[in-house]
Amino acid sequence: MANRSKLATLAWRNIWRNRRRTAITLFGIAFGVLFAVLVTGLGDASYGQMIDYAAKMGGGHVSVQHEDYRETPSLDQTVRADDALTASIETDPEVLHALPRVSGATMLATAANSYGAFFMAIDPSREDESTTAFLGAISEGRMLEGPDDKGIVLGATLAENLDVELDKKVVLTMTDKSGEIVSGLTRVRGIVKTGAPSLDGGLALLSIGHARELLGYAPDESTQIAIFVRDHRDSAQVAARIRGQLQAPSVALSWEESSPELAGFIAMKMGSNWIMQVFIMVLMAAGIFNTLFVSVMERLREFGIMAALGFSRLQLFALVMWESVWIAIFGLVAAAAFTGPLYYYLNTKGIDYSAMVGEGAEVAGVALLEPVLYVDIYFVHVLAIAGIVVVATLAAGLYPAWRAGRVPPADAIRLV
Amino acid sequence: MSNDNAPIVKLEEVTKVYRQGETEVRALRGLSFEVQAGEFLALTGPSGSGKTTALNMIGALDTPSSGKVWVEGRDLSGLSRKQLSEMRRDRIGFVFQAYNLIPVLTAYENAEMVMRLQGKAEEERRRLAMELLAEVGLEGLEHRRPDQLSGGQQQRVAIARAIASRPAVALADEPTANLDSATAEMLLDTMEKLNRETGVTFIFSTHDPRVMNRARRILHLVDGKLDRDERKD
Repeated sequence: MANRSKLATLAWRNIWRNRRRTAITLFGIAFGVLFAVLVTGLGDASYGQMIDYAAKMGGGHVSVQHEDYRETPSLDQTVRADDALTASIETDPEVLHALPRVSGATMLATAANSYGAFFMAIDPSREDESTTAFLGAISEGRMLEGPDDKGIVLGATLAENLDVELDKKVVLTMTDKSGEIVSGLTRVRGIVKTGAPSLDGGLALLSIGHARELLGYAPDESTQIAIFVRDHRDSAQVAARIRGQLQAPSVALSWEESSPELAGFIAMKMGSNWIMQVFIMVLMAAGIFNTLFVSVMERLREFGIMAALGFSRLQLFALVMWESVWIAIFGLVAAAAFTGPLYYYLNTKGIDYSAMVGEGAEVAGVALLEPVLYVDIYFVHVLAIAGIVVVATLAAGLYPAWRAGRVPPADAIRLV
Repeated sequence: MSNDNAPIVKLEEVTKVYRQGETEVRALRGLSFEVQAGEFLALTGPSGSGKTTALNMIGALDTPSSGKVWVEGRDLSGLSRKQLSEMRRDRIGFVFQAYNLIPVLTAYENAEMVMRLQGKAEEERRRLAMELLAEVGLEGLEHRRPDQLSGGQQQRVAIARAIASRPAVALADEPTANLDSATAEMLLDTMEKLNRETGVTFIFSTHDPRVMNRARRILHLVDGKLDRDERKD
């Protein structure tokens, strides 16, 4: 049939000649897409969650810091973090918050014991759940109040090791900007219990004003400006834009640059996911190839008749390729119907794996504070999966289509 | 066509050798004959005499091992694959023993299919297809699919399909073999009428006496050669 619409109609009717075979093929596509969407969506959600947690536990999705801080993260590597700069950074449309922070190592001592810890000094009045992972994890007492609160919040295990309770004294000792050992007295305001061993056993939260006072910092001095963006995938672009606003020695690093081990872990996991998905897609394409090839071989006589009636090779090729197109389109529709409900459930309810990991877990140095796995696929990955299905289906149709166009009419007609 | 008296079909010393494994099968052994436009002709002979092979040569479905075939003055051996395809589409109609309709298309769609390949306008296709289906006695059955039609009705659709493209030659390979007598006679009536009214040349491959009775010329083939050319005046 000369015009494309009639070829498409003929192809559509052809694929329903053997309904059971077509249904099995469509199920194969739907299952392949379901698998690809769930694996990719699980990765997108969990890696995104890890990146956000890592950002909340430290320098944000983008971190402004001293150019040497990454190599030697000492408290004398500071940057200017005044309100004008943070306000200017926050004018970037992708930036949600730009918050000054001071972080480093400290020694905590009580009458009973002394332990090393990692401290993070924040302005509690500017932080919320989207910028600090610990606000919802207070198990006793309260969070610090305001930038000049002289108290401390400790991880639960650390408090236990120090044998300290709420309102009890703790002596902080750290090295200040000029390399001198400085100490300060503080009182425990609260205890955080995250379930992650590294946080519970080694975290101390201070107010930023208190930390600056102890370390001899100027009022606008910090070790980092933690910048939080709407979508962590834009971190590199945001970092590049922010660099233009900075003066040496300040630099802006995306989370991939400041946490290369996490970036490497995620890249490796995503790579292995894609390899597995390619394998599934190849299996799916083999199923489609089988369907189309068997269907063409069963119709050799018919193709011969059509060639005898004047169908060109190209038209017969196009006819079978149209059958591939219909299988791809209908396969995607079936896949959407098949995947949708399960995706919705896993996107909204998630999978609670707390029973598997106990109270807490860490992956690539990042504490997983919420033991629920959600599926939340990026739209670009949906398009990629749909594209791969279409390409795989069309590729699977190429040889059967080529074969259909090369049936010698006289030979085919003899096949009674 | 070079002139009005030129044959519409001409075979000259055509041979066809098939290989079946190690065995050589000589289906045609120097077959030569001419057919004039408007003839109603039967090729007959015992099984293996080369009837269907000769029809395939005329229909540009197969190529001779040696010799030449002309249709409307065109040497088929000089045509490209595309030109042969266009020749089949525009100048030759086929009616097969097993009807060979496209099973997913209705009677109407089967009848208009070749016209669609020719790129004829929808209105013209519709008019011609409906006229021909009425002509072969299928009025009211246009929207039935082949599996909803009897064997005789399917063969009528096949005839309508063969004629719809206004071919120079209609080739019918054992068209009545699967039909009962009454249906076969009805079909032959139809084909005779189309031959008379449209001038389409009909060439049958058959050993059905009902067809041979109607044919105005019979070519008897034996062992791939023309044994006898019988004309009825």
